Amino acid sequence: MAYVQLAILVTSAALVIIGLYSAIFIDNIIKKIIGISFIEEGANLFIVAIGYKPGGVVPILMPGMDTSWFATNAAYPLPFGLVLTSIVIGASTLAVMLALVMVLYRRYGTLSTKVMLADTSKQEEYDE
Amino acid sequence: MNELIPLMVIVPLMAALLISAFSRFNKATKIFAFVVAICLPIIPIASNYGLHYFGGYEPLVDNVTSVFYHPAITYSFTFLQQIFIAGVGLLTFLVVFIYLTKYKKVSGPYLFLLFLGTAAVTAMLLTDDIFHMFVFFEILALAQVGIVAASSIDYSYEMALKYMILGSIGSPIMLLGIGFLLALTGSVNVTDIAAAVHNGLVDITSPVFLFSLGLIFFGWLYASGLPPFHTIKSGIYSKAEPHGAALLQSFTVISMISIVLIMFRIYSSLPIFEVLIVFFSILAMILGVSLALTQTDFRRMIGFLAVGELGFIGLGIGLGTQYALTAGLFQALNEIIITALLFIGFGAIVNATNEVDTRKLGGLLAYHPKVSIMLLIGGLAMAGVPPLSGFQSKLMLVQASLSCGFPEISILAIMVSIATFVVFVKTFYAMFLRPKPNDLELGKKDVPRAMIFAMGVLLIIIVLLGIFPDVVTNGISNFVGGIL
Amino acid sequence: MKLYDQIFNVVKQFRKLFSPGPVTNADVSGSITAEIFLIVSLVLAAVLLRHVSILLAGLVTLILAIVLISNIPLIPKFKIEQEDSLEKMLFYAVVTLSIIIIFLYWGGNLV
Repeated sequence: MAYVQLAILVTSAALVIIGLYSAIFIDNIIKKIIGISFIEEGANLFIVAIGYKPGGVVPILMPGMDTSWFATNAAYPLPFGLVLTSIVIGASTLAVMLALVMVLYRRYGTLSTKVMLADTSKQEEYDE
Repeated sequence: MNELIPLMVIVPLMAALLISAFSRFNKATKIFAFVVAICLPIIPIASNYGLHYFGGYEPLVDNVTSVFYHPAITYSFTFLQQIFIAGVGLLTFLVVFIYLTKYKKVSGPYLFLLFLGTAAVTAMLLTDDIFHMFVFFEILALAQVGIVAASSIDYSYEMALKYMILGSIGSPIMLLGIGFLLALTGSVNVTDIAAAVHNGLVDITSPVFLFSLGLIFFGWLYASGLPPFHTIKSGIYSKAEPHGAALLQSFTVISMISIVLIMFRIYSSLPIFEVLIVFFSILAMILGVSLALTQTDFRRMIGFLAVGELGFIGLGIGLGTQYALTAGLFQALNEIIITALLFIGFGAIVNATNEVDTRKLGGLLAYHPKVSIMLLIGGLAMAGVPPLSGFQSKLMLVQASLSCGFPEISILAIMVSIATFVVFVKTFYAMFLRPKPNDLELGKKDVPRAMIFAMGVLLIIIVLLGIFPDVVTNGISNFVGGIL
Repeated sequence: MKLYDQIFNVVKQFRKLFSPGPVTNADVSGSITAEIFLIVSLVLAAVLLRHVSILLAGLVTLILAIVLISNIPLIPKFKIEQEDSLEKMLFYAVVTLSIIIIFLYWGGNLV
């Protein structure tokens, strides 16, 4: 049963590493954003793994449960609450990034980061 | 009354939501935004110091081991939070005032972003819970991206997307670090974590603890705009509207000090922590000023200078003694005010001349004397000329590094100040003193009076803090003594 | 004369930095100030290593001084590295992250 927690931790590490690789090295902006989503979900999965308890019960106190038995056998509820907030944050940053990509795609006609997000400091120096 | 403490976050947040929902009614929105902006600096000054436990959950005490546990999210309000929240509230008031008088029809979503940023930064400063701070840090990042994207400057969307992408790599890394701390101590309350670390319940040389330090430190580098994120931070300062940039830099400084104070309370027993902060701060100081010296676009120049000055703050905090921490926090307060003055001033020049290249400007002293004098005094304050506030905080920093046994750092700080002075003298000469080029058209547009009023208010604060620094430094020193 | 020619070549290289556009005295003096400031401050920061070991500090300072002074002018190369493009910024961010992680995770004994 302890292998379950180890498997979750390894999966979250794999998600973070794959996400970092694609956010840094891949040129397509949509794939970069998918990679960023991977990194965030990997971090969330890691926090969920912290609350794991081998042989534990869901941390909801049902009527008729003995509180001291519940306290020793329930999984740790704090990480689950934190992860809910974190998932919402990930969704909103994803929405903002995709909205910006939509506007920029209409302007440039390409999804390549080399073209879209290139250096802008030289162009504007003498044009203004 | 301790009920005012959560109101410092709730008032700008509710105002932001109401303004963005009812922005159709232009006049009502303007009046409402103005009233809320006036209240923002008043609430922290009127409130008493104390703690606020959300949900009313008082700290629990374990009778056997006499250890305190904090089950609720705690807001702690002391002198330090009071001056910084009042400072950011005053700045928000001035920026909202400039925005409301500049445009006939105001944009509800833009005011929403300004107030949301203020609420996020206030919450980050007040909170004692590291995950709560992370949530508001993400909200702040979204507000910053919105403020940059909303400006009418070329390439602002690209800059906003770059900032968002870099931020979405930096923030989950910080979340991973917070996760490691949660795994080690089982709590996200900073007081509990610090107590666990100092009482020896956590092995401070374990790789997990060091890993969490590294990850949260990297997230802090992104939040504060220290290298390697100095180019993107100065980029967003140069692409936002000038009054927006004035507020953005205050958000950066306050998020920097709130995160570093939390890290200090947890990791101060590790010497590697202070070494890392001092290393990156020195790098920021050197890079910021070197790049500012070679710029011809004065928006970018101020952006790089603002990033370089953050190095001074980090230096004070990295040295670790009570005097050094006081100096660093006082420098942060001065930074917020001086950089805001410079952004608003240079924004007034852009407004009046529609030109950002210093090579094409000249002779502005005859047309805009008030703005030029206030900009000159602001620039001298940033460089550390007495009797202005920048001098007091930089003198304290130099003395602190000397008393810690690092004379090289003092010499470096003095050199950076001299280089900042060179930047300002060069820019002031190029823009105001030398003869006007023939193809420059001036005299058509006037500088808005709201901007001159805002600059005047900030200038008065700079001069007052320079002559009477003890008003602020005694209180900060007491706060620092409490966390050491 | 040779030294004068060398300095003149350095100034000509600075000219390329500011093109297209006029190069004024103020800009060139700013760049030369930045050059000198960069070299002196980096060498001075290297002296700080004396708290770790004096021999290391002496070696690093000397090598750094020689490398920096022989590569004058530094500012044009410097400015290219500090551009706005996303790739450069991501590259430096990832290099810093890897250095921090490696240093902290495996350098735990040095803490």
